[in-house]
Amino acid sequence: MSDWTLCIDFGTAYSKAAAAPLGAWSHFEPSQVRPLMVGGHEPGGNAFLLDSAVFVDDSHVLLGRAALAAANVPANKKRMALKSFKTLLSVSDLDRALNTNAPLSVDPHRMFQMRDLIVLYLAYLLEAVEQASADDPLLTDVSSISYRYAAPAWRSGDSAGMHDSIVRLFGEADAFREAVGEALLAPEGLPLSLIERALPKAQAQAQPFEMGLIFEATAAAAYTSIGLEDAGSHFIVVDMGAGTTDIAALARLGPRTMELPEARVTLKQAGDFIDQVIANRVLDSASWARSTADRSELWNVLMRQMRDIKETLFADGRATLRIKGKQISIAMRDIEKDADFRLFYKGLSEAYAHALAVVRDDADARGRTEVQAVAVGGGAAAPFIQDLIRKKAVRSTPRVQPRPATPDWAHAGEFRGNLAPVFPQLAISIGGALAPDGMLAARSGSSPAATAQTGTPAAHD
Amino acid sequence: MPAAGKSRAKTPEKGRRKKGAARKRAAPAVSLAGALAEAAWAEADAALAEALADLDEAQTASDEAARDDAMAMLAQSLSRAARKRGLSRQGELGARAPYDPARQVLDDAGGRAPKTVRIAARGVSRGAEVLCPIRVRRLRKRRP
Repeated sequence: MSDWTLCIDFGTAYSKAAAAPLGAWSHFEPSQVRPLMVGGHEPGGNAFLLDSAVFVDDSHVLLGRAALAAANVPANKKRMALKSFKTLLSVSDLDRALNTNAPLSVDPHRMFQMRDLIVLYLAYLLEAVEQASADDPLLTDVSSISYRYAAPAWRSGDSAGMHDSIVRLFGEADAFREAVGEALLAPEGLPLSLIERALPKAQAQAQPFEMGLIFEATAAAAYTSIGLEDAGSHFIVVDMGAGTTDIAALARLGPRTMELPEARVTLKQAGDFIDQVIANRVLDSASWARSTADRSELWNVLMRQMRDIKETLFADGRATLRIKGKQISIAMRDIEKDADFRLFYKGLSEAYAHALAVVRDDADARGRTEVQAVAVGGGAAAPFIQDLIRKKAVRSTPRVQPRPATPDWAHAGEFRGNLAPVFPQLAISIGGALAPDGMLAARSGSSPAATAQTGTPAAHD
Repeated sequence: MPAAGKSRAKTPEKGRRKKGAARKRAAPAVSLAGALAEAAWAEADAALAEALADLDEAQTASDEAARDDAMAMLAQSLSRAARKRGLSRQGELGARAPYDPARQVLDDAGGRAPKTVRIAARGVSRGAEVLCPIRVRRLRKRRP
């Protein structure tokens, strides 16, 4: 009987969760890291991923993979599933965004505000987490679990307000989950009549959910440095997702981890931008696709296959694809010649150099000799990101130590080689579960403003 | 949705969440490693299936150019399947390297062990586990 920590990574496309024993940070054993099978109740696909999607049909609200399947049925072509709603949570006026009505294409009944649909999804996520932890042999006899969620550092600057809003949303979701229970995971979805009856009551009686907040960059620092003798105190994290590339710097001061806010840079070009550069280069080289219809079809095929194309391009430096009997090859050096890419890379290099200078200055001032550099997110394997974190610095101290995107411990024998291939997708939830309390940006019931960013003057310690 | 009347709120346990008693049930006998393997295999399967189709095309190609194209697709599908299973290549194809019998397999049994060899086929490993050692050949002696 021991206490565990569970971290939810509420992702743009998928949500993930992982658990670790409370003392994992100081007595690390890889076998105690437990990614949870939150998608285990859905047949097919990856059991560790839960699709982030909500679909409102004539009589039910469908959630997760069932929502995406329903949205793809030809009869529903005028309706859309609500997806990528995580991005809503980072807008500057969150409460206002939550209180807007869901678009007609999502909710033809005009029943729901955005808040309602997000609460329904979070209830579904909490129920999936509850079931997955009940199904895990190491978690069955655990007496209590403390919860956390991972989020990008808020860009609006109102960290306290954002955290309060999020825990309120989770609180409403938990109250609704308690009211309807396992019906949330039913493949046919939840009847609208049930939602109409139970949701307003749950929202009215909800208490803020007791959970901490960990920044995604901090979670990356946690899984990167856990168990290392030479873990170091300072980190620079490059997180290239779909919509943004975020660079963050962290300093561990005693038991606490803090962000160096002056280092933070967010670029609006990221994975989606790279996709477009690749697709445009392929279109330029496909001399047979000249008509608008051909180019449009080629674009759609490329976008459907982009994940594989990009992965191959990053790993092998070249990708070949076959479309309508034609074989097209594209090399990484073609991308590097692209004018838009060069502009992006220049901006990225400058932003990285700025953040690195900030974190090295802080490390230097505190008498530390090393900064760990780690790349996370979908773009972590990109050669230009890896080049960036491996680039030799002009100054020799503090030394910059690049760390692998998948830490060595993920290859531990107990996983029999099976964690490393899926690690990048689960990484943030795992890091969030492993991190000690001192790394949290906000604890349950406390405002993150005081803990998230360092105001501690740099001095030798 | 229109709000319902406020009802009395329950007080949650501070900072902790007890596991619901109703959910305490016998965990199924699915190992974490097995479930992770299944997750990784789901994507590797698709790449492996494509590799088999590409192999057919390579074997039945009508000319050299078509065969080269099919071989390029086959190599790519196989590499993708390997990546999804966490396999990585060791060594650089065609490179000279000091002979290391612990990590390399020499393609002949005769004569003295060479000092330097050429890598004929890269090794394959998963993490620290070597699944297929690096295959090496003796360097050809230059003619005087």
